[in-house]
Amino acid sequence: MSKIYLAGIIVLVGVVGVLQLPNVVQHLDAQSEESAVGPAPTTAWGDPDLEGIWTRDAEVPLQRPSNFRDREFFTDEERADLDRRRAEIIARDATRERRESNGGGTAEQDVGGAYNAEIYISHLRLGQRTSLIVDPPNGQLPELAPRAKEEHAALLDFSLNLKRATEVCENDLPACRGGEYNPVPWEDRDSTPPFYITSRNALPGGGGGVVSRSNHPEDRGHGERCMSSTIPDFRGFRRIVQSQNQIAIFYDTGQGQGWHRTVPISDAPHLPPHVRQWWGDSRARWEGDTLVVDVTNFSPKSNFLGAHENLHLIERWRRVDAETLEYTVTVEDPTTWVAPWTAVQTLKKQEDQSNRIYYEPRCHEGNYGMAALLIGAREDERAFEEGRGENPALKCLGACGGFAAGYADEGEDANPLR
Amino acid sequence: MVDRFKGVMMVVLLVAGVAACNSASNQGAVVPRTPDGNPDFSGIWQANNEAHWDLQAHAARPGMITQEGPYPYDYARVPAAPVLALGAAAGVPGSLGVVDGDGEIPYTAEAAVIKQENFDNWVDRDPELKCYLPGIPRAMYMPYPFSVTQGANQIQMGFTFSNAARVIHMDPETTLPPDYTYMGFSVGRWEGDTLVVDSNYFNGRNWFDRAGNHHSEQLTLTERLTLQTPNVIQYQVTIEDPAVFTRPWTISMPLYRRMEPNAQLLDYRCIEFAEEFMYGGLRKEQLVKRWESETMIIDVTRKVPPGDRLHEWYRR
Repeated sequence: MSKIYLAGIIVLVGVVGVLQLPNVVQHLDAQSEESAVGPAPTTAWGDPDLEGIWTRDAEVPLQRPSNFRDREFFTDEERADLDRRRAEIIARDATRERRESNGGGTAEQDVGGAYNAEIYISHLRLGQRTSLIVDPPNGQLPELAPRAKEEHAALLDFSLNLKRATEVCENDLPACRGGEYNPVPWEDRDSTPPFYITSRNALPGGGGGVVSRSNHPEDRGHGERCMSSTIPDFRGFRRIVQSQNQIAIFYDTGQGQGWHRTVPISDAPHLPPHVRQWWGDSRARWEGDTLVVDVTNFSPKSNFLGAHENLHLIERWRRVDAETLEYTVTVEDPTTWVAPWTAVQTLKKQEDQSNRIYYEPRCHEGNYGMAALLIGAREDERAFEEGRGENPALKCLGACGGFAAGYADEGEDANPLR
Repeated sequence: MVDRFKGVMMVVLLVAGVAACNSASNQGAVVPRTPDGNPDFSGIWQANNEAHWDLQAHAARPGMITQEGPYPYDYARVPAAPVLALGAAAGVPGSLGVVDGDGEIPYTAEAAVIKQENFDNWVDRDPELKCYLPGIPRAMYMPYPFSVTQGANQIQMGFTFSNAARVIHMDPETTLPPDYTYMGFSVGRWEGDTLVVDSNYFNGRNWFDRAGNHHSEQLTLTERLTLQTPNVIQYQVTIEDPAVFTRPWTISMPLYRRMEPNAQLLDYRCIEFAEEFMYGGLRKEQLVKRWESETMIIDVTRKVPPGDRLHEWYRR
């Protein structure tokens, strides 16, 4: 039974991209218990002990919500209020009335929003901190550098051009982002995207997919290709196993898109500059009680918030106490942000037993969705050519909105943590 | 005939050699140990054999895929179209095999037929070509390095191929069965200086090698890892699967430490490498369709199996 269930979930990944299904952690309705926490343990050879399964047990937005720009911490009342508003969104159903009231309710919006907000919004209670970003002190990502702005704008434009002739723009739905409706399909809709399409991190719009096209598997973006995992990862679970000379980290993330990372504790130089890797090249050293990992050599195909091959990470892993691991990452890429920035995430130790089930990354093995999407698109084209169906260029096939992004039916402004 | 005799003699000598090494293991060589006194397997390792092609002893053959040549004999086949352009680089090296005893894999009659069908339909059926998780024991002797990180309660293995991983639970309390998996559920224990790992909960979709050797979800493995020297693990696996084999059987091989001072795992995100193979025939316009060298033109025609056959193809 569970086998069938899992296979079903994995098939769906192909349709909607990366979901963040919660593993077994305390949810909104669970109270955290205050208890005496033991000191940070050390390994048998005297290094700080980082072992265990770790994840966040409270939700902290990456960037500080706009209403709290000058505040590092929420008050308890504010957290309670925001949690209540988030819980309301999570509890929303996707009734026809609700969908239709927002101009959706069509088949395409239904497919784009095949899930309601429950799946896309973290069920964790808000933490005390207003942002993971601690530097700059305003808790915001620095301004995008010109290259990143250019890439972002060009891909957004490409994405918009592909859906101008669809109902998304005809009905002025949030995924059209205020763009203009044009009933004539874009004549260059089969052209090469202006930049390599990575994931929808770069292209907000809601719904599955990145662009409204299924000419190639590459059109569907990293998420639907089962290649979305990247570092830093602020969302998934990670199992750390530690030996004297290397650390193994298995990231359970992106619903079956996990991966294994071996971090050598070594002062050896990084890989030659022309050897590029999806997850970069890690070198670790101990600085006092902190494992400092320098990561370079990312690939042009790597994507972290729009950063690619020039990404440089300095990670700091510190065992604070028996239950807590502090993860600090400084992110540098002058071609993506005008200044470096630093985020701190508190990770809590999770029970081994109850967190093993999602450990095996099987997105690709069950990705019948990719084949089905491509076959469906080919069938639509054939039907149109043979006068049996409507013009597929008038259909929205990706980044179409719907319920999928949680707030997409109302636009991002409805996000209480915006 | 003479060749076959030589082959048998080499197998006998090899087995004798391994036995001699085994009896001497851990007596002379000082192996690395963790602070708790157990042998320390941490590091980067790799098999150096042909088991990934075929667990069993086999002669070299002229191509990964072959077809009948001008003679109707098995020994006179020629490379087939998918690998023809690669010349001698597409050949398959011979091997003494890694199956203990008589070298036979004790398939049931029915399972032996499936094995042959798998071999004959390698391209359509081998999960490796689709970059599916490689399974155990296959991941242990694929031609890529893997890392072992030996922690206090777990031993984590990271494999180059597909950045796959397995965790060996050394904590005996981890008894709750998980879902059926590609990589299995492994629980380890120490028998003296040997790490013994029991694995089960396999989903039955993996193969042992590129020759089509297969198993079901009833597979159970008992792996025995012994550090023969600081840089050689003697690796033995007892394989049981009552749905496929008539009796337990074992494979053995050494695994070698990668000795380069800068040895490390590199990404091999083969999901990407398999996309054209898996989905290329479903693009709006076929992209890979013709290739030309000075002596050869290769035309590729993609086809989509009808109905459920397509799903079955992805599911294998």
